[in-house]
Amino acid sequence: MTAGEVQRAEEELLARARTGDREAFGDLVGRYQDTVYTLALRLVGPDLAADVAQEALLRAWRALPRFRGEAAFGTWLHRITVNTAWTLRKRARRHAGEPLEGDFEDRGLPPERAGELAEMRARLGSAIATLTPGQRAVVVLRDVYGWSNAEAARELGITEITAKVRLHRARLRLRSLLEGAR
Amino acid sequence: MREPQCVVAAVLPDGWRVPALAEHRRACLRCQASAVRERNVRRGLEALGADLVPAPMGLQARVLERLGEQDAADPRRALVARAAARYAAVAGLASTALVALVAGLARRHSRALG
Repeated sequence: MTAGEVQRAEEELLARARTGDREAFGDLVGRYQDTVYTLALRLVGPDLAADVAQEALLRAWRALPRFRGEAAFGTWLHRITVNTAWTLRKRARRHAGEPLEGDFEDRGLPPERAGELAEMRARLGSAIATLTPGQRAVVVLRDVYGWSNAEAARELGITEITAKVRLHRARLRLRSLLEGAR
Repeated sequence: MREPQCVVAAVLPDGWRVPALAEHRRACLRCQASAVRERNVRRGLEALGADLVPAPMGLQARVLERLGEQDAADPRRALVARAAARYAAVAGLASTALVALVAGLARRHSRALG
């Protein structure tokens, strides 16, 4: 299947799901459940991630008639997941972490450093879990998923300045954790 | 030992970099090294975005079991209507108070005249 065919098939599923076709929505859940779960995991950690993913997908089903296709379906689902994560985290009050506040040329990573990057990814995954929920949400949306500061701020209900400050503190914290782990 | 400019440069978020520090950054090997480390962290974070963690078994089935009714009504409409009603009430009270004030002043003025 080409990318175009995949896209058309998804549009067809979406059109059917928007009119209440549960089977079509089931196919969409199959396609997106890993993406939604991964984002939930990064935002709230393993304890709540499955609940967040489930609730986000249920909310998506309820709101599907209102989906107008202004953003990609995946982006729309991400937004719902972020909102759901925020709501459930507040409700559960299960904060995973305590509040926390060479070669100088950068020419990209050569192949021999690919392993180093993989190792860093593993360490980053655990380091992210130690950030405050607010810092974690901003750094995940901004740096991991490439959202803009404005988008992250809007979805999290904070100002852009707050988002920038949290992002900066999160990056500093991550850096110090990674350097400390060496 | 770090120079004061290095410390200031490290605590200022991106986009808040002041021109006076830019020159220091260009000349300071410590700040350049720090920038490279920060870029490496960001690169690692970006790489995380490509990772997918498989959803737990049964998630799809649980979601499909719990599907209720769809809702085409925009939930924001109720919030907007409530906010509009609040603003209208406040505006009504404010205009009533203003009218009463003007009437009181006018009465006092006419009494003083005659």
